[in-house]
Amino acid sequence: MEATEQHTDGNAIAGILQEIFVAEFTTLERTCQSCGDRNPAGAHRSYRGAGIVLRCPHCGDVALRLAVLPDEYVFELRGAWSRRSNT
Amino acid sequence: MERLAPQPAPLTWRVATLARLQPETSSATTLILDVPEWPGHLAGQHVDVRLTAEDGYQAERSYSIASAPQDAHLALTVERIDDGEVSPYLTDELHPGDQLELRGPIGGYFTWNAADGGPLLLLGGGSGLVPLMAMLRHRAAAKSDAAATVLVSARSWEDVLYRDELATHDDHGVTVRYTLTREQPPGWAGWAGRVNLEMLRELGADPGVPLRVFVCGPTGFVEHVADVLVQLGHDPHRIKTERFGPTGG
Amino acid sequence: MSPLISRGFGGRRRRDVDPARIPPGQYVVDDFPVLSAGPTPTVSLDQWTFSITGAVDEPASWSWEEFLALPSEEIRTDIHCVTKWSKLDTAWKGVSVDVLLEHVDTAAEFVSAFCDGGYTTNLPFADVTDGQAWVAYEFDGEPLEPVHGGPARLLVPHLYFWKSAKWVRGLELLDHDEPGFWETNGYHNRGDPWKEQRYWSD
Repeated sequence: MEATEQHTDGNAIAGILQEIFVAEFTTLERTCQSCGDRNPAGAHRSYRGAGIVLRCPHCGDVALRLAVLPDEYVFELRGAWSRRSNT
Repeated sequence: MERLAPQPAPLTWRVATLARLQPETSSATTLILDVPEWPGHLAGQHVDVRLTAEDGYQAERSYSIASAPQDAHLALTVERIDDGEVSPYLTDELHPGDQLELRGPIGGYFTWNAADGGPLLLLGGGSGLVPLMAMLRHRAAAKSDAAATVLVSARSWEDVLYRDELATHDDHGVTVRYTLTREQPPGWAGWAGRVNLEMLRELGADPGVPLRVFVCGPTGFVEHVADVLVQLGHDPHRIKTERFGPTGG
Repeated sequence: MSPLISRGFGGRRRRDVDPARIPPGQYVVDDFPVLSAGPTPTVSLDQWTFSITGAVDEPASWSWEEFLALPSEEIRTDIHCVTKWSKLDTAWKGVSVDVLLEHVDTAAEFVSAFCDGGYTTNLPFADVTDGQAWVAYEFDGEPLEPVHGGPARLLVPHLYFWKSAKWVRGLELLDHDEPGFWETNGYHNRGDPWKEQRYWSD
């Protein structure tokens, strides 16, 4: 798949994600809606456009879109996200 | 005594005070910080640093924590990017006693705790060595017997962070090897150029062994090294990565 | 808690500019920041096409060679990003959207720009006509670099720059508005920097 040096990864946006969800986000795992690959958020590729985009490291499809507005966060999560319940 | 990071609280901005500066290379400096009520951290985590100008303009950057969780102060190693907006301020303008806003610790994915065990394979490019050094320092402080193999990629010998300290780890169950990509000192017997299959084979990065693999550095470095590991047969899902972006942070 | 002021920190902004040229909340930079919603796509020029599709009697399409043969203009303009940086006196070369629509018969009131990589953005038809929009393929006298949208990007400088879609491959003409990638996730539907229309709430 296309790789470019301009991106970072889910670790880079861990701060803003923890601000929104008040919980650790980078260890959440996502099963991609397009390719079915399962990866932690920290392993996803992160892009900064007008807002923030997180993409599947396997197929590049969108996993998260995020906009930080003055009084709200607007975000879309795609795919099936999982968090362990026994920790 | 090992302190584990507590459950993540809502992240709040804290005011840290610079205790002292420690030059590492001609372009990198470690900030030794006092952070009141610091909740502790795991090796591999980072902090967000925020600077505010008098007119309210703000700039924010993330820096990996260089210190072990057991250390008394929080240490951040900052690589000065020449035309950067934040790093030259941190390395050139701050004096001991100055204050800094930061929040953290952040990031539960790219972390290693001695209780996780090894063996470890750590691959760092440039300032990507910083969070890996926190792992090595934590390993030593925790008296872990996990085997660790470290591959450091840097432009030149002068650019290698923590050179003397790495040599001391090299004596205690850790193997450290270097590849210098742009220039090598006279008589250099180590590796040169980009990380490749041969280097990884020589390091014993055998996909058959359940290694805990951590790769950190500029995005191009991380993508390349991860590709080479996958070529060698490693499962991409078992390679933990942290990308610093095009400039490497 | 109000933020701590960082002694001696000024940032990298230029301060020596005529404030009348700077929309509210913006600061001027000399570099050209690279922002993107995804990886830089690669496309070979012998496969590249630009199309006008949708609410038209006959869709139009140009190959790269045909596109370069169209009448072009040199454009000198200021650009404004919603992330608050502005860059003044940027120099482009491109084909006016008016030229692309010259032989197109349409009653469309909206357009949706579509791009390699899947990005979309929507605009009122009236915002891309009458000399307000181009498909640009040169920046600063050189072929537009891929990270900045090359081979060609939409250029609509009177709106925030997320509307100047990188790697544009065509405009779909529509009788209804179809909010695009960012407009469906928090960003303003139109994006006029002089009215500071950054977000949904503005």
